[in-house]
Amino acid sequence: MAGTVIGEGLTIEGDITSEEEVVIHGNLRGKLTTSDAVTVGSTGVVTADITGSSLSVAGQVTGDVTASERIDVQPGGKLVGDIKASRFTIADGASFKGNVDMEI
Amino acid sequence: MARHNLESSVLGPTTRLTGRVSGDGALRVEGSIKGDLSVSGEADIAEGGSVEGNLNAAALEVSGSLLGDANVQGPIAVRSGAVVRGELRGSEVSIEPGSRISVRLETEFELDLGGPARRR
Amino acid sequence: MAETSLISRGTVVRGNVRGSGTLEIQGRVEGDVTVTGDVLLGEAGAIRGNVSGESLTILGQVQGDLRGTEAVLVERGAKVAGDLSAPKIGIATGALVRGLVRTDGEPALAAGRRGAVAGQALRSGGSFQKSPARAEAPKPAAVEPDSEPPPAKEERKPPPPVVPALSRGTKAKKKKSREQE
Repeated sequence: MAGTVIGEGLTIEGDITSEEEVVIHGNLRGKLTTSDAVTVGSTGVVTADITGSSLSVAGQVTGDVTASERIDVQPGGKLVGDIKASRFTIADGASFKGNVDMEI
Repeated sequence: MARHNLESSVLGPTTRLTGRVSGDGALRVEGSIKGDLSVSGEADIAEGGSVEGNLNAAALEVSGSLLGDANVQGPIAVRSGAVVRGELRGSEVSIEPGSRISVRLETEFELDLGGPARRR
Repeated sequence: MAETSLISRGTVVRGNVRGSGTLEIQGRVEGDVTVTGDVLLGEAGAIRGNVSGESLTILGQVQGDLRGTEAVLVERGAKVAGDLSAPKIGIATGALVRGLVRTDGEPALAAGRRGAVAGQALRSGGSFQKSPARAEAPKPAAVEPDSEPPPAKEERKPPPPVVPALSRGTKAKKKKSREQE
Protein backbone atom coordinates (compact mmCIF):
# COMPACT_ATOMS: atom_id res chain seq x y z
CA MET A 1 0.00 0.00 0.00
CA ALA A 2 1.03 3.58 -0.06
CA GLY A 3 3.27 4.93 2.60
CA THR A 4 6.40 6.95 3.07
CA VAL A 5 9.70 5.31 3.85
CA ILE A 6 12.84 7.26 4.49
CA GLY A 7 15.69 4.83 3.89
CA GLU A 8 18.73 4.59 6.06
CA GLY A 9 20.99 6.56 3.76
CA LEU A 10 18.64 9.49 3.39
CA THR A 11 18.60 12.80 5.26
CA ILE A 12 15.67 15.14 5.20
CA GLU A 13 15.73 18.68 6.48
CA GLY A 14 12.37 20.31 6.47
CA ASP A 15 8.71 19.87 7.22
CA ILE A 16 6.75 16.83 6.24
CA THR A 17 3.00 16.55 6.21
CA SER A 18 1.23 13.39 5.22
CA GLU A 19 -1.94 11.35 5.43
CA GLU A 20 -0.22 8.06 5.35
CA GLU A 21 2.10 5.90 7.35
CA VAL A 22 5.63 7.19 7.72
CA VAL A 23 8.63 4.99 8.44
CA ILE A 24 12.00 6.54 9.13
CA HIS A 25 15.23 4.60 8.90
CA GLY A 26 17.34 7.62 8.04
CA ASN A 27 17.60 11.17 9.37
CA LEU A 28 14.93 13.78 9.75
CA ARG A 29 15.42 17.25 11.06
CA GLY A 30 12.41 19.50 11.08
CA LYS A 31 8.81 18.59 11.66
CA LEU A 32 6.60 15.64 10.89
CA THR A 33 2.82 15.64 10.89
CA THR A 34 0.68 12.78 9.68
CA SER A 35 -2.75 11.40 10.40
CA ASP A 36 -1.41 7.86 10.29
CA ALA A 37 1.23 5.87 12.15
CA VAL A 38 4.87 6.87 12.53
CA THR A 39 7.67 4.40 13.00
CA VAL A 40 11.25 5.39 13.72
CA GLY A 41 13.42 2.36 12.98
CA SER A 42 16.50 1.47 14.96
CA THR A 43 18.77 3.40 12.58
CA GLY A 44 16.45 6.38 12.47
CA VAL A 45 17.55 9.68 13.96
CA VAL A 46 14.87 12.32 14.24
CA THR A 47 15.19 15.84 15.55
CA ALA A 48 11.66 17.07 15.11
CA ASP A 49 8.28 17.42 16.66
CA ILE A 50 6.16 14.51 15.58
CA THR A 51 2.41 14.24 15.34
CA GLY A 52 0.65 11.10 14.25
CA SER A 53 -2.01 8.59 15.12
CA SER A 54 0.65 6.50 16.78
CA LEU A 55 4.39 6.52 17.20
CA SER A 56 6.83 3.70 17.68
CA VAL A 57 10.42 4.62 18.43
CA ALA A 58 13.25 2.10 18.08
CA GLY A 59 15.81 4.71 17.12
CA GLN A 60 16.35 8.21 18.41
CA VAL A 61 13.86 11.01 18.63
CA THR A 62 14.49 14.45 20.02
CA GLY A 63 11.36 16.55 20.00
CA ASP A 64 7.84 16.66 21.30
CA VAL A 65 5.63 13.85 20.21
CA THR A 66 1.86 13.79 20.02
CA ALA A 67 -0.28 10.82 19.10
CA SER A 68 -4.03 10.41 19.01
CA GLU A 69 -3.70 6.78 19.99
CA ARG A 70 -0.45 5.61 21.50
CA ILE A 71 3.27 6.11 21.75
CA ASP A 72 5.72 3.27 22.32
CA VAL A 73 9.43 3.56 22.94
CA GLN A 74 11.01 0.22 22.09
CA PRO A 75 13.98 -1.45 23.71
CA GLY A 76 17.03 0.40 22.46
CA GLY A 77 14.91 3.37 21.52
CA LYS A 78 15.50 6.81 22.92
CA LEU A 79 13.08 9.66 23.24
CA VAL A 80 13.91 13.10 24.56
CA GLY A 81 10.91 15.38 24.56
CA ASP A 82 7.38 15.62 25.82
CA ILE A 83 4.83 12.92 25.18
CA LYS A 84 1.19 13.63 24.63
CA ALA A 85 -0.90 10.52 24.13
CA SER A 86 -3.63 8.64 25.89
CA ARG A 87 -1.53 5.49 26.01
CA PHE A 88 2.17 4.95 26.01
CA THR A 89 4.85 2.46 26.89
CA ILE A 90 8.51 2.88 27.59
CA ALA A 91 10.00 -0.57 27.20
CA ASP A 92 12.64 -2.10 29.36
CA GLY A 93 15.89 -1.03 27.77
CA ALA A 94 14.47 2.13 26.29
CA SER A 95 15.36 5.60 27.44
CA PHE A 96 13.12 8.53 27.86
CA LYS A 97 13.43 12.01 29.19
CA GLY A 98 10.56 14.44 29.16
CA ASN A 99 7.07 15.09 30.37
CA VAL A 100 4.02 13.02 29.78
CA ASP A 101 0.54 14.28 29.27
CA MET A 102 -2.07 11.57 29.02
CA GLU A 103 -4.81 14.08 28.37
CA ILE A 104 -6.96 12.80 31.07
CA MET B 1 12.27 -2.81 -6.31
CA ALA B 2 11.29 -0.88 -3.27
CA ARG B 3 13.26 -2.90 -0.83
CA HIS B 4 12.47 -0.35 1.73
CA ASN B 5 15.33 0.45 3.98
CA LEU B 6 18.93 0.93 3.06
CA GLU B 7 18.80 1.67 -0.56
CA SER B 8 15.35 2.77 -1.34
CA SER B 9 13.11 5.54 -0.13
CA VAL B 10 9.67 6.60 -1.15
CA LEU B 11 7.57 9.64 -0.48
CA GLY B 12 3.94 8.50 -0.58
CA PRO B 13 1.23 10.23 -2.59
CA THR B 14 -0.16 12.30 0.26
CA THR B 15 3.22 13.27 1.61
CA ARG B 16 4.48 16.78 1.16
CA LEU B 17 7.94 17.85 2.06
CA THR B 18 9.16 21.40 2.22
CA GLY B 19 12.88 21.21 2.63
CA ARG B 20 15.80 19.34 1.21
CA VAL B 21 16.57 15.72 0.68
CA SER B 22 20.04 14.33 0.38
CA GLY B 23 21.87 11.09 0.82
CA ASP B 24 22.36 7.64 -0.47
CA GLY B 25 20.09 5.36 -2.27
CA ALA B 26 17.20 5.74 -4.63
CA LEU B 27 14.15 7.87 -4.12
CA ARG B 28 10.71 7.56 -5.56
CA VAL B 29 8.53 10.65 -5.25
CA GLU B 30 4.80 10.01 -5.35
CA GLY B 31 4.00 13.05 -3.27
CA SER B 32 5.61 16.43 -3.52
CA ILE B 33 8.89 18.02 -2.64
CA LYS B 34 9.46 21.70 -2.57
CA GLY B 35 13.18 22.01 -2.20
CA ASP B 36 16.35 20.49 -3.56
CA LEU B 37 16.95 16.84 -3.94
CA SER B 38 20.33 15.17 -4.15
CA VAL B 39 20.70 11.41 -4.03
CA SER B 40 23.37 8.98 -5.05
CA GLY B 41 20.92 6.61 -6.63
CA GLU B 42 18.10 6.87 -9.05
CA ALA B 43 15.35 9.44 -8.66
CA ASP B 44 11.92 8.59 -9.95
CA ILE B 45 9.19 11.20 -9.97
CA ALA B 46 6.08 9.08 -10.31
CA GLU B 47 2.88 10.06 -12.03
CA GLY B 48 1.17 12.43 -9.64
CA GLY B 49 4.45 13.22 -7.95
CA SER B 50 6.16 16.54 -8.16
CA VAL B 51 9.48 18.13 -7.40
CA GLU B 52 9.94 21.84 -7.36
CA GLY B 53 13.62 22.47 -6.91
CA ASN B 54 16.92 21.31 -8.26
CA LEU B 55 17.70 17.69 -8.55
CA ASN B 56 20.92 15.69 -8.56
CA ALA B 57 20.88 11.96 -9.01
CA ALA B 58 22.55 9.03 -10.71
CA ALA B 59 19.62 8.63 -13.07
CA LEU B 60 16.24 10.25 -13.42
CA GLU B 61 12.84 9.22 -14.61
CA VAL B 62 9.97 11.68 -14.68
CA SER B 63 6.36 10.69 -15.09
CA GLY B 64 5.03 13.47 -12.91
CA SER B 65 6.20 17.02 -12.67
CA LEU B 66 9.63 18.58 -12.36
CA LEU B 67 10.17 22.29 -12.09
CA GLY B 68 13.84 22.92 -11.68
CA ASP B 69 17.19 21.90 -13.02
CA ALA B 70 18.36 18.33 -13.12
CA ASN B 71 21.98 17.34 -13.08
CA VAL B 72 22.25 13.63 -13.62
CA GLN B 73 25.18 11.36 -14.25
CA GLY B 74 23.28 8.80 -16.18
CA PRO B 75 20.19 8.93 -18.36
CA ILE B 76 17.16 11.14 -18.00
CA ALA B 77 13.86 9.79 -19.26
CA VAL B 78 10.82 12.02 -19.52
CA ARG B 79 7.65 9.94 -19.84
CA SER B 80 4.60 10.85 -21.80
CA GLY B 81 2.49 12.32 -19.03
CA ALA B 82 5.27 14.37 -17.55
CA VAL B 83 5.52 18.10 -17.18
CA VAL B 84 9.05 19.40 -17.04
CA ARG B 85 10.49 22.85 -16.97
CA GLY B 86 14.14 23.61 -16.42
CA GLU B 87 17.55 22.60 -17.55
CA LEU B 88 18.29 18.92 -18.02
CA ARG B 89 21.79 17.64 -17.99
CA GLY B 90 22.47 13.95 -18.33
CA SER B 91 24.49 11.45 -20.28
CA GLU B 92 21.45 11.07 -22.44
CA VAL B 93 17.98 12.58 -22.44
CA SER B 94 14.96 10.91 -23.92
CA ILE B 95 11.55 12.53 -24.22
CA GLU B 96 8.34 10.65 -24.90
CA PRO B 97 5.77 12.36 -27.11
CA GLY B 98 2.86 13.54 -25.05
CA SER B 99 4.99 15.16 -22.41
CA ARG B 100 4.72 18.87 -21.84
CA ILE B 101 8.12 20.39 -21.63
CA SER B 102 10.03 23.61 -21.75
CA VAL B 103 13.56 22.52 -21.14
CA ARG B 104 17.09 23.28 -22.10
CA LEU B 105 19.10 20.21 -22.93
CA GLU B 106 22.80 20.43 -22.34
CA THR B 107 23.94 17.15 -23.76
CA GLU B 108 27.53 17.10 -24.90
CA PHE B 109 28.36 15.85 -28.32
CA GLU B 110 29.88 16.89 -31.60
CA LEU B 111 28.12 17.26 -34.89
CA ASP B 112 29.68 16.09 -38.07
CA LEU B 113 27.96 17.80 -40.93
CA GLY B 114 30.72 17.40 -43.41
CA GLY B 115 31.62 21.02 -43.98
CA PRO B 116 33.02 24.02 -42.12
CA ALA B 117 31.31 24.28 -38.77
CA ARG B 118 29.02 27.16 -38.18
CA ARG B 119 27.00 28.61 -35.29
CA ARG B 120 26.59 26.91 -31.94
CA MET C 1 -1.27 17.47 -52.27
CA ALA C 2 1.28 15.42 -50.48
CA GLU C 3 3.71 15.18 -53.29
CA THR C 4 6.97 13.89 -52.03
CA SER C 5 10.28 15.31 -53.10
CA LEU C 6 13.65 13.85 -52.46
CA ILE C 7 17.10 15.26 -52.02
CA SER C 8 19.06 12.14 -52.49
CA ARG C 9 22.25 11.04 -50.88
CA GLY C 10 25.22 12.67 -52.41
CA THR C 11 23.33 15.82 -53.25
CA VAL C 12 24.24 19.06 -51.54
CA VAL C 13 21.83 21.98 -51.70
CA ARG C 14 23.26 25.37 -50.87
CA GLY C 15 20.42 27.76 -50.26
CA ASN C 16 16.97 27.57 -48.84
CA VAL C 17 14.49 24.95 -49.77
CA ARG C 18 10.88 25.80 -49.70
CA GLY C 19 7.60 24.50 -50.90
CA SER C 20 4.53 22.45 -50.26
CA GLY C 21 4.28 18.72 -49.94
CA THR C 22 6.53 16.30 -48.20
CA LEU C 23 10.28 16.37 -48.38
CA GLU C 24 12.75 13.60 -47.83
CA ILE C 25 16.35 14.60 -47.36
CA GLN C 26 19.02 11.97 -47.70
CA GLY C 27 21.71 14.39 -48.75
CA ARG C 28 22.82 17.66 -47.35
CA VAL C 29 21.20 21.07 -47.15
CA GLU C 30 23.03 24.24 -46.22
CA GLY C 31 20.13 26.57 -45.73
CA ASP C 32 16.67 26.66 -44.30
CA VAL C 33 14.04 24.12 -45.13
CA THR C 34 10.47 25.30 -45.05
CA VAL C 35 7.67 23.06 -46.22
CA THR C 36 4.02 22.73 -45.56
CA GLY C 37 4.17 18.98 -45.31
CA ASP C 38 6.34 16.55 -43.46
CA VAL C 39 10.10 16.38 -43.50
CA LEU C 40 12.12 13.23 -43.18
CA LEU C 41 15.85 13.59 -42.69
CA GLY C 42 17.57 10.27 -43.34
CA GLU C 43 20.35 8.79 -41.31
CA ALA C 44 23.07 10.04 -43.58
CA GLY C 45 21.40 13.35 -44.14
CA ALA C 46 22.54 16.65 -42.71
CA ILE C 47 21.03 20.09 -42.51
CA ARG C 48 22.76 23.27 -41.54
CA GLY C 49 19.85 25.61 -41.23
CA ASN C 50 16.40 25.74 -39.71
CA VAL C 51 13.68 23.29 -40.56
CA SER C 52 10.00 24.06 -40.55
CA GLY C 53 7.18 21.73 -41.46
CA GLU C 54 4.28 19.75 -40.19
CA SER C 55 5.82 16.62 -38.79
CA LEU C 56 9.60 16.42 -38.76
CA THR C 57 11.31 13.08 -38.39
CA ILE C 58 15.03 13.32 -37.90
CA LEU C 59 17.47 10.47 -38.20
CA GLY C 60 20.49 12.45 -39.33
CA GLN C 61 22.23 15.56 -38.13
CA VAL C 62 20.95 19.08 -37.82
CA GLN C 63 22.57 22.29 -36.83
CA GLY C 64 19.63 24.61 -36.63
CA ASP C 65 16.15 24.84 -35.18
CA LEU C 66 13.38 22.36 -35.76
CA ARG C 67 9.85 23.51 -35.76
CA GLY C 68 6.85 21.30 -36.41
CA THR C 69 3.27 22.42 -36.46
CA GLU C 70 2.42 18.90 -35.48
CA ALA C 71 5.44 17.04 -34.20
CA VAL C 72 9.19 16.82 -34.06
CA LEU C 73 10.61 13.34 -33.62
CA VAL C 74 14.31 12.81 -33.18
CA GLU C 75 15.22 9.17 -33.59
CA ARG C 76 18.02 7.05 -32.30
CA GLY C 77 21.34 7.94 -33.86
CA ALA C 78 20.31 11.46 -34.74
CA LYS C 79 22.15 14.53 -33.52
CA VAL C 80 20.58 17.94 -33.26
CA ALA C 81 22.16 21.17 -32.06
CA GLY C 82 19.33 23.66 -32.08
CA ASP C 83 15.95 24.43 -30.59
CA LEU C 84 12.94 22.19 -30.97
CA SER C 85 9.37 23.36 -30.98
CA ALA C 86 6.15 21.43 -31.64
CA PRO C 87 3.02 20.43 -29.76
CA LYS C 88 4.38 16.91 -29.70
CA ILE C 89 8.06 16.22 -29.29
CA GLY C 90 9.86 12.93 -29.07
CA ILE C 91 13.53 12.30 -28.49
CA ALA C 92 14.38 8.63 -28.61
CA THR C 93 16.89 6.87 -26.44
CA GLY C 94 20.14 7.09 -28.32
CA ALA C 95 19.36 10.43 -29.93
CA LEU C 96 21.43 13.46 -28.97
CA VAL C 97 19.90 16.90 -28.70
CA ARG C 98 21.29 20.13 -27.35
CA GLY C 99 19.14 23.26 -27.20
CA LEU C 100 15.79 24.51 -26.03
CA VAL C 101 12.98 22.02 -26.37
CA ARG C 102 9.45 23.26 -25.96
CA THR C 103 6.02 21.84 -26.49
CA ASP C 104 4.36 25.02 -25.34
CA GLY C 105 3.84 28.47 -26.72
CA GLU C 106 5.99 30.15 -29.23
CA PRO C 107 8.82 28.32 -30.82
CA ALA C 108 12.23 29.35 -29.67
CA LEU C 109 13.05 30.33 -33.22
CA ALA C 110 14.24 33.88 -33.49
CA ALA C 111 14.82 35.70 -36.73
CA GLY C 112 15.85 33.83 -39.79
CA ARG C 113 12.78 31.75 -40.33
CA ARG C 114 11.04 30.69 -43.39
CA GLY C 115 13.91 31.04 -45.76
CA ALA C 116 12.25 33.65 -47.76
CA VAL C 117 13.02 34.27 -51.27
CA ALA C 118 15.65 31.94 -52.41
CA GLY C 119 13.98 28.88 -53.59
CA GLN C 120 11.33 30.77 -55.34
CA ALA C 121 12.73 29.27 -58.41
CA LEU C 122 11.56 26.02 -57.03
CA ARG C 123 8.17 27.04 -56.20
CA SER C 124 6.63 26.52 -59.53
CA GLY C 125 3.63 24.39 -59.04
CA GLY C 126 4.44 23.90 -55.44
CA SER C 127 6.59 20.87 -55.25
CA PHE C 128 10.24 20.29 -55.17
CA GLN C 129 11.03 18.32 -58.14
CA LYS C 130 14.67 18.67 -58.51
CA SER C 131 16.54 15.91 -56.90
CA PRO C 132 16.29 13.15 -59.43
CA ALA C 133 18.20 15.14 -61.97
CA ARG C 134 21.03 16.16 -59.69
CA ALA C 135 21.08 13.01 -57.85
CA GLU C 136 24.20 11.53 -59.24
CA ALA C 137 27.48 13.23 -58.67
CA PRO C 138 28.69 13.63 -55.18
CA LYS C 139 30.04 16.95 -56.15
CA PRO C 140 28.13 19.78 -54.62
CA ALA C 141 25.71 20.13 -57.44
CA ALA C 142 24.33 23.45 -56.44
CA VAL C 143 20.71 23.35 -57.26
CA GLU C 144 18.38 26.08 -58.35
CA PRO C 145 17.66 27.75 -55.12
CA ASP C 146 21.03 29.18 -55.03
CA SER C 147 20.54 31.55 -57.86
CA GLU C 148 18.65 34.11 -55.91
CA PRO C 149 20.61 36.77 -54.20
CA PRO C 150 19.91 37.09 -50.53
CA PRO C 151 17.09 39.54 -50.93
CA ALA C 152 15.36 38.54 -47.76
CA LYS C 153 17.22 40.94 -45.62
CA GLU C 154 15.11 40.37 -42.63
CA GLU C 155 15.28 36.63 -42.61
CA ARG C 156 17.79 34.10 -43.42
CA LYS C 157 20.58 34.85 -41.16
CA PRO C 158 22.06 31.42 -41.29
CA PRO C 159 22.82 30.79 -44.94
CA PRO C 160 24.80 33.85 -45.95
CA PRO C 161 27.44 33.44 -43.28
CA VAL C 162 27.85 29.83 -44.17
CA VAL C 163 28.59 30.28 -47.76
CA PRO C 164 31.38 32.79 -47.70
CA ALA C 165 33.17 30.61 -45.26
CA LEU C 166 32.82 27.78 -47.64
CA SER C 167 33.93 29.68 -50.62
CA ARG C 168 37.38 29.73 -49.12
CA GLY C 169 38.32 26.23 -49.68
CA THR C 170 35.54 25.10 -51.90
CA LYS C 171 35.90 24.27 -55.46
CA ALA C 172 33.91 27.41 -55.89
CA LYS C 173 30.75 26.38 -57.44
CA LYS C 174 30.11 29.87 -56.50
CA LYS C 175 26.87 31.17 -57.80
CA LYS C 176 27.20 34.86 -58.03
CA SER C 177 24.53 35.07 -55.38
CA ARG C 178 26.42 34.86 -52.15
CA GLU C 179 29.27 36.89 -53.26
CA GLN C 180 27.36 39.94 -52.31
CA GLU C 181 29.73 40.84 -49.56
